[in-house]
Amino acid sequence: MPRFSSLSARLTAQFVLLFAVAMVAVSLSLSTAISGIASHQVESQLVSSGAVYDRLWQQRSGELQGTAQLLARDFGFRAAVASGDEPTMASALNNAKARLHVPTAFIVTIDGRAHGLAGQEARDAEQLWDALDEGRTTGIGMVGGKTRQLVAAPVMAPALLGWIVFAADLGQPEMQSLKKLSAIPLDASVLVGVAGQWRDATGGRPIDGAFLAIEQHSRSSAVFDIEVDGESAIALAKPLPTLVGDRDAVLLLAYPRSEALATARRLQAALAVMTVLGLALVAFGTWRASAKITRPLERLDDAAGKLATGEHVLVEVEGHDELARLGSSFNEMVVQIEEREKRIAHLAFNDVLTALPNRTMFQHHLDHQLKNLDDGSVIALHCLDLDHFKAVNDTMGHPAGDELLVSTAKRLSQAARGHFVARLGGDEFVVVQLVDQAREEIDRLATALLEAVSQPQEIEGQQLVATTSIGIAVAPSGGNGAEDLHKSADLALYRAKEAGRGTFAFFEESLNKRAQERRRVEQDLRIALEEGQFELYYQPLFDLEKNKVGSFEALIRWNHPTRGLVAPAEFIPIAEETGLIVPIGCWVIREACRQAAEWPDDIRVAVNVSPVQFHRPGLQETVIQALAATGVAPARLEIEITESVFLKGGEETLRLLHNLRSVGVRVALDDFGTGYSSLSYLQSFPFDKLKIDRSFIENLLKRAGAAAVVRAITQLAQALGMETTAEGVEENEQLSELRSQGCTSVQGFLFSKPLTAVQAGSLIGGEQRSAGRDAA
Amino acid sequence: MIKSLSYSVFLMSCAAPLAAAPLNVRVTDSGGRPVSDAVVTLHPDIGRRAMPMAANYSVSQKDLQFHPFVAIVPVGARVSFPNLDPTRHHVYSFSPAKKFELKLFAKDQSRSVTFDRAGVVALGCNIHDQMSAYIIVTDSAWTARTDARGIARFTDAPAGSTMSVWHPYLRAPGGTMSRRLGPGERTANVAVKLRAPPMHAMDAY
Repeated sequence: MPRFSSLSARLTAQFVLLFAVAMVAVSLSLSTAISGIASHQVESQLVSSGAVYDRLWQQRSGELQGTAQLLARDFGFRAAVASGDEPTMASALNNAKARLHVPTAFIVTIDGRAHGLAGQEARDAEQLWDALDEGRTTGIGMVGGKTRQLVAAPVMAPALLGWIVFAADLGQPEMQSLKKLSAIPLDASVLVGVAGQWRDATGGRPIDGAFLAIEQHSRSSAVFDIEVDGESAIALAKPLPTLVGDRDAVLLLAYPRSEALATARRLQAALAVMTVLGLALVAFGTWRASAKITRPLERLDDAAGKLATGEHVLVEVEGHDELARLGSSFNEMVVQIEEREKRIAHLAFNDVLTALPNRTMFQHHLDHQLKNLDDGSVIALHCLDLDHFKAVNDTMGHPAGDELLVSTAKRLSQAARGHFVARLGGDEFVVVQLVDQAREEIDRLATALLEAVSQPQEIEGQQLVATTSIGIAVAPSGGNGAEDLHKSADLALYRAKEAGRGTFAFFEESLNKRAQERRRVEQDLRIALEEGQFELYYQPLFDLEKNKVGSFEALIRWNHPTRGLVAPAEFIPIAEETGLIVPIGCWVIREACRQAAEWPDDIRVAVNVSPVQFHRPGLQETVIQALAATGVAPARLEIEITESVFLKGGEETLRLLHNLRSVGVRVALDDFGTGYSSLSYLQSFPFDKLKIDRSFIENLLKRAGAAAVVRAITQLAQALGMETTAEGVEENEQLSELRSQGCTSVQGFLFSKPLTAVQAGSLIGGEQRSAGRDAA
Repeated sequence: MIKSLSYSVFLMSCAAPLAAAPLNVRVTDSGGRPVSDAVVTLHPDIGRRAMPMAANYSVSQKDLQFHPFVAIVPVGARVSFPNLDPTRHHVYSFSPAKKFELKLFAKDQSRSVTFDRAGVVALGCNIHDQMSAYIIVTDSAWTARTDARGIARFTDAPAGSTMSVWHPYLRAPGGTMSRRLGPGERTANVAVKLRAPPMHAMDAY
């Protein structure tokens, strides 16, 4: 079975094949029946024609015989025959021939002699004696080399004297006249059997190979098939009497098969044409019917194809059958798929919490707006970030945070009506503002957004005033692509935060430069870590009680290969932002410990630790490993922290500090007196030392208040059992004042600027030698 | 008439030579059936003798038939032809032994013909085709006709003779077949082939 691409084609082919088999079978059997009936009809026609021919033959014989008998009884004729009166006999025969239209007439007398003939004809005639003597009076015989129909009548006087014989020709004219009498176009001929072959007496043509058939069928008088002149024919053979002993004769009636079955052939042809027409009709009908049946399926197929390409399509439903139900189900499915697609698309492009467009949609929107930006028009991108949103989340819980985000989204949408508002994630929102010319519109919208957010609201029963910072970048000046513009707005936001929050800031090119600088520094820092570009300097802390250097504060320096020495203030904030401070800090601790191991046991080393290090894991392990690796006693290591360590972390930070203390590491509070300077820290953690901020030392001799603060700090430290170190001591007067106030150690250029490790080593060596001299 | 003829044959046999002996000749057709009206004639090699002449011979015409059908007469016999029918008869013979015509146009008219040559004379009537009869004019004293059983009887058949059998329908030239009689042969069987009698003669046959 071939493969079909269409159902209707398959149905058509199968039905047509089925019908074809049935119709061809019916046609073939009908055709066979027609052939059979036609053959039968022809045979019976032939038989009846044969009977007619028989009668005709007998009639002709009878007529001839009648006249022969008439002549045989003529008294004068008999007298002539009896007396052997040849002239009278001859004249009487001629008279009869002329009167009766008989071509040949002669007499065979009882003594075997022929009269009225001469030569070969007479000898032929004498051959007839036996047959005549046997009483045969009609039959076929040869006279003068020609086969003729002979009729004899005895001449009695009253005893048998002989026979008068009339001979009629058997030629084509006689046969033609016979044919004219038949209802069907028969081919009649008289055959004489001679030496195993039939010879046509009328035309003389031999009929080969049919001798036996003709002989058999001449006895059975049944119809049989024969080949005449290469043409198939239906034949009937009727035996004819002969007047020559050793010869058979038959009348052969042949009906050419082509003529006999012409009507049947026409019927069969008509049947074939009708079969073909019927098949064509069936094919057409089946094709139409199957097309009608399969049309709903085609519609479904077509619709399914379109649906796959995302086109909206519903099929037409007719009727109430299975296909109609299938169509209805398909339509329902299409509607459901479309709804689902809408929902998925909404999820893909919208924020679930606030229903605002999400980051993806924002990017698409911004891309689109930038591409289609008219000359002279600008796009202002407002990036918003709620101030201290984390604090709200931490103190009031996430549900409250979510509620705040939802209300903020509503307020922003209202305030920025007509502009595109999206939530990018967390507390980050953006507003895309399309501006024709006036820059004031940007300021106005930003102000409106600030005001809208800062309206007091009630969240979970608590009065809350949220503020936001806004960074604004304007395209095309603020960046070419959407990504650039967003970065610019983020930088501006950063600046707005720096400017004290609750305000908005425009992106400026310097911001961008600063950002680039930071990125470059970040990369350089990574390289510096790998290549060991960092170096530690050591600033001595002079112990006022022992009058000697009690410890060194390790200070990091960066020897940049191209930029030279880079100040910590330039790279430490960046290292903190990027988290690089962790590996850098780790290196500092190990390097400081390694260096301290080379110093006398009574000299400590102090290391500054960033709050970031506290909030990342691993600090404690780093310290313990560094101590273990160098063999430095924990008490010789002093960690310097600032109050900002406590801003984040809280309990966790305290636990870490306690752990370090329990190991034996000392902890100093740096820059004391500035910032929050909460005394609660002093209460919650037993610091080993307070380092008084250099701003107080600077003003120590200039402002009375400063001296009082320093005094208060030293007294507080003494009360709490802590040491104090004054930073930034540059003058002798300052030193005297600090010594008088009971400060335990000082640090500053008055004694020494930060030293290299080698310098620090020689400083220690010099002190030991002078100390040795003093002792001596 | 047949009776008187037999009688005369019987009488003649008394005068036969001593060598003579009785002979029965049985004539049958090809089907073995007895053939009547066959005429058997014996021709002795020596001692030929004519048949004795009877008082009268006649062949009458009655009921449109000749009577008798076959008559045996000696050479020189005069045969009368009485017409006993109310119709006319035209009796003729084209036989070489005796050709004649007798126009017997009235009832009880009778004419006579003398047969002076031995042979078979076929009689016919030119008015009535069905009428046929034969007169055997014989020169031998041993001439006999077969009876209904097909047997011709001779009381004194001479030894050493030729036997000829004639019958009107016998299929042989001249309607006759002959053979020698064997010495001491007392019973001779002769089978003959007959042609079908003419249709008009069937009633008589």
